[in-house]
Amino acid sequence: MTSKRVVAPYVLILPSFVLAAMIVIWPINELAQIASHSVNRFGQLRDFVGMANFGALLDDPNFIASLWRTGIWTLGVVGGAIVCSVPVALVLNEDFYGRDLARVIVMLPWAVSLTMTAIVWRWALSGESGMLNSALMELGLIDQNIQWLAEASTAFPMQILIGILVTIPFTVTILLGGLASIPDDLYEAAALEGAGSWEQFRHITLPLIAPFLNIALVLNTIYVFNSFPIIWAMTQGGPANSTDILVTYLYKVGFRLGKLGEASAVSLVMFGILLVFTLIYVRLTMSRRAGA
Amino acid sequence: MNWVKLRRSLLCWLVLSPIVVTTIFPFAVMLITALKPNTEVLTPAWWPSRIAWENFQTMWVATNFGNALRNSLYVSVLATLGSLIVSIPAAYAMTRFDFRGREFYRQFLLVTQMLSPIVLVVGLFRLMVALGLIDSINAVTVVYAAFNIAFSVWMLQSYFATIPLDLEEAAWMEGAGRTKALVKVFLPLAVPAVVVTAIFTFINAWNEFVIALTLLRSQDSYTLPIQIFSLVSGRYTVEWHHVMAATFAATIPVAIAFAWLQRYLVRGLALGAVK
Repeated sequence: MTSKRVVAPYVLILPSFVLAAMIVIWPINELAQIASHSVNRFGQLRDFVGMANFGALLDDPNFIASLWRTGIWTLGVVGGAIVCSVPVALVLNEDFYGRDLARVIVMLPWAVSLTMTAIVWRWALSGESGMLNSALMELGLIDQNIQWLAEASTAFPMQILIGILVTIPFTVTILLGGLASIPDDLYEAAALEGAGSWEQFRHITLPLIAPFLNIALVLNTIYVFNSFPIIWAMTQGGPANSTDILVTYLYKVGFRLGKLGEASAVSLVMFGILLVFTLIYVRLTMSRRAGA
Repeated sequence: MNWVKLRRSLLCWLVLSPIVVTTIFPFAVMLITALKPNTEVLTPAWWPSRIAWENFQTMWVATNFGNALRNSLYVSVLATLGSLIVSIPAAYAMTRFDFRGREFYRQFLLVTQMLSPIVLVVGLFRLMVALGLIDSINAVTVVYAAFNIAFSVWMLQSYFATIPLDLEEAAWMEGAGRTKALVKVFLPLAVPAVVVTAIFTFINAWNEFVIALTLLRSQDSYTLPIQIFSLVSGRYTVEWHHVMAATFAATIPVAIAFAWLQRYLVRGLALGAVK
């Protein structure tokens, strides 16, 4: 029995490990190879070029612009989603008529593929016949059609808004988990001591959901940083690359321009950034477990 | 009727109203456009003059919907099964055994979860080229199964941990072997967790975009998201009523399943993500 106990877990884990490793380790190795060699259009590796592909990236103004825009995108979407999710989670944690329906509605964007969401919004935002323009006209909020997707100055903020909308369900889910873990008697005790609802929120709710907020923050940062379909299906990074973020830049460079070397270099840069996020996440969960 | 609760309910709905409106807006756009007669699609009025149910029929043929639906079902069902078959034993090992490398495996799964397909897509593309599997929906299926392992193990593990060990131990006492106890005692209790995990894996696979976009090259092998995307991208005229009808048909069944199951997700994620 003892010897079996030692072997069994490894046997049980092996198939999942092999499958997961295959789609992670092989491609990463491949990326490292391509990024450090010159590659012709047909994908054959030529000479070893060291960091030249990375150097080419730094010389490309579109890469630098995409890098900055990725920062704005990630901060905007994650920040916006957290700011909207806290009140929504607090409300959904209350007992009120129609709460189940409200929960379903808030969670709904999660069920729909980002591609479909983006395609529907692309249509809704269309300049001449889009239903957002006609709704805003009817409400008297605008008096002429706005060409939402024709310029980065309106397209990118709209994409961030849609990003926020689809990020809220996950964030609310995590926060609801946090709120459910707070015992009711804490509030009762605070109310007895005469604490108002703002003080209760400030001194009980906020500190106790802080670890959940942190985790939502880090996980969302990772997901949003990687998010491809919203921008790709709405503008494909256009007009004139003005809404490109790293992922759409990577896809264009790799599969439109056929520069696999540079695309792999972008992947590795992203991999590095993601690794930092992951380490932050691990530290957060570790410190929570040590604290608990 | 309780007046305090009623007042509170009104207030709650008032606070939620902006997000409720923005959430429902795209669904309304989708449904209304799908039901507009095709002569009215480009006129900027909200309501159609009559409801054009026939759009769904013409869409089915014009967009090759049936074929894409079949591909999507095939890929999603097999990816779900594949991912479960390897994840259930792994999750069981993670909850029931204390072994060296357990923490390493946890971190490894975490890393695979962090690396979205998009970061690896160039490498995956090269891998599939090398294996001669470009345009193969089976290859896409395997990749989906693999990318869902971390999530599945995570979800399953959080539920498995709530199944008391005593029950299995009692079965051992009565002379059942470990395997028999597993099959007769543990697995029946784990069925709800497995079903919930399966449905979420299915939804992930059903909605995936970038891998399918990269690996699938011919119309015949397109899954629904790619098929619908191909109706919109790089075209001079887009038949929006067909696109919206297709989006609606591809989205609503999954959305209903999700709405029904989301409370389990709340529980599973809260257990798995934070503990």
